[in-house]
Amino acid sequence: MRSATLFSRSSQYFLAVGLIALVTVILFTLREALDTTLIALLYLIPLGMITAYWGLGPGITSALITFLTFNYFFIQPYYNLAVHRPTDVVILVIFLIVAIVISQLVGRMQASLAAATAREREATQLYELSTALAGLHDGHTIAVILAKQVQDVSQGEAVELNITGTEPFVFRLPESSQPDRPPEWILPIQVARGLLGEIRLWRAAPVLTSNEKRLLQTFASQGALALERARLAQAESRARVLEESDRLKSAILSSVSHELRTPLSTIKAAASSLRSNEVSWDTAARSELVAQIDDEADHLNMLVGNLLDMSRIESGVLKPKREWNILAEIVGSVLARMKHLAGEHHIEVDIPESLPLVPVDYVQMEQVFTNLVSNSVKYAPEKTVIRVSAFVEGDSIHATVSNQGPQVPQEHLERIFDKFFRITEADRVTGTGLGLSICKGIIEAHGGRLWAENVPDGLAFNFTFPLIWEGVSPPKLPIDPEAE
Amino acid sequence: MTNAPHILVIDDELQIQRAIRTILTEKGFKVSTASDGQQGLTLAAANEPDVVILDLGLPDMDGVEVCTRLREWTQCPIIILSVRDSERDKVAALDKGADDYLTKPFGIEELLARVRVAIRHSASRQGTPSKVVHAGPLTIDLAWHSVKRGEEEIKLTATEYKLLAYLAANHGRVLTHQSILSNVWDPADADHTEYLRVYMRQLRKKLEADPERPQFILTEPGIGYRFIVDE
Repeated sequence: MRSATLFSRSSQYFLAVGLIALVTVILFTLREALDTTLIALLYLIPLGMITAYWGLGPGITSALITFLTFNYFFIQPYYNLAVHRPTDVVILVIFLIVAIVISQLVGRMQASLAAATAREREATQLYELSTALAGLHDGHTIAVILAKQVQDVSQGEAVELNITGTEPFVFRLPESSQPDRPPEWILPIQVARGLLGEIRLWRAAPVLTSNEKRLLQTFASQGALALERARLAQAESRARVLEESDRLKSAILSSVSHELRTPLSTIKAAASSLRSNEVSWDTAARSELVAQIDDEADHLNMLVGNLLDMSRIESGVLKPKREWNILAEIVGSVLARMKHLAGEHHIEVDIPESLPLVPVDYVQMEQVFTNLVSNSVKYAPEKTVIRVSAFVEGDSIHATVSNQGPQVPQEHLERIFDKFFRITEADRVTGTGLGLSICKGIIEAHGGRLWAENVPDGLAFNFTFPLIWEGVSPPKLPIDPEAE
Repeated sequence: MTNAPHILVIDDELQIQRAIRTILTEKGFKVSTASDGQQGLTLAAANEPDVVILDLGLPDMDGVEVCTRLREWTQCPIIILSVRDSERDKVAALDKGADDYLTKPFGIEELLARVRVAIRHSASRQGTPSKVVHAGPLTIDLAWHSVKRGEEEIKLTATEYKLLAYLAANHGRVLTHQSILSNVWDPADADHTEYLRVYMRQLRKKLEADPERPQFILTEPGIGYRFIVDE
């Protein structure tokens, strides 16, 4: 690369001299027809061109050569450098001055043009870098892009990016080989807070110019800003998660203190009444008190279970243990267990016999139906119909639990799945305010979606979940037992 | 009272120990208690119990490990106690030889029922197993391979019968998916719970009055099945 520049530079001089020689020959043939002043003017044309195309060095050299040839060939007496006429002296001197001034002016313009082009290229490269880095929030990607751009610009043998800090990371270009000598240049990646890492560059020749160094330093500071931004973004999202979980915790605390205290008070009252020596309870009253203790203990157990489920969903450890199950069986067992709770409602089930096996966690899916049905039981008036249905919809199951209870204002349809969200006042209905959010968490853990909608005579909870599990469709089994 | 069945309770929660001891003693059982696995194993070795009630969450060792160690030398029934949502541990313990499980908190009647089933089973294990199982109107004759509702013969396919026979022979006990699949089908099929789902449904349709609300073949969510004969 270096020898090529050298060759082209010497050839520039060579060409300049050639051009001057050519022009001299042409002017020489026309010597008799042309006035000395005109020849001097005509000589200025190649001089200007030479400086414009090949730069200041060849320009000045040509100006000096031209001064000599002009004097030698065109100023009398010809073929020597003596000058007789005073006007010719003036012409020669003016020619020399003009030639050199033109060369310098044109040359300077050239140089500033080259500098402008270089600056423009730098600006483009910087722009490309900052575009590539914009919006990135991942330290690794930023490091990789920065290393590639440094390599592009420097054309070095190798680049290594060394990110320090909590998540150290090293990226090399080319990834395979690395020169076994110390790098020629090490650039710190630095922000106000401190050192984030460094860029190591291997380029033995040509030696980095100060312009290149300046550009690479700008790259490093751009990279540093991007890395810093990524770190801040991470810290911010961590802070947001913490804040959210903090909010959840205080919501849980307030809900817990209210919800847990109610059954506890009942249990405490009933148990202490039974122990008290002041009243002698008849058998009926005694068994009523005992039944209260029993019921409220179950209620407490359910509350604690819900809280545990919610914390599991929140921390992302709720992993469904999927198996191929019969949805009708799950719904059947839920309804059988809820019989005493749903005594005053008519529950209709519409799940076709032909429904394929579904890949779900039996226990979790039971809980979804339990919560949705018990929500319907809680809010829909007695003697109304609660309907549970399911059908295949493409590669999914679409299940619905609908009731003839009060509709939910459009703006709350999403929010009823939020933790502790209640449309009615908390005291009117018992529960943790977690039932629906748990359902949503479970369905989402199954890769599905749960939503509520108002239907003409009430409210419907819909959910869908995929029938395909780990790429497998529901297994087909001999349904006809005699086919064995 | 020298013949009173001996029940060993291994649970680190003293309140539970106290409650179980009070009630079982009241019911005429001889109760000993241990607060950790090691103590439990020592007590069991010193005086072989008729039933072990074992909490899975012990301070010193895994309850499943206690199950395995007990099974190395005794066939006495083991009822495990555990908290909700630990199906995996329950199944592991059941597959390692535990006979039944109860989820905390439990009602004492449930516990007594499980203890009675366990004692009956250990008795029948020592004598000859009953050849005929009655469940409501159903009569299952394991010697003659016949199933009747009242006087009416119920036709079952070979697999359905094999499944029902396994359930009936172990009535009252909880049977994990894996144990049913490897006993009725083949150990290689132990993961194919879908077989179970489908055949259980067929069986319920033939045996139960309302297949959606079964009375005899009960589902133990996430664990397995249990065949109930009413007492």
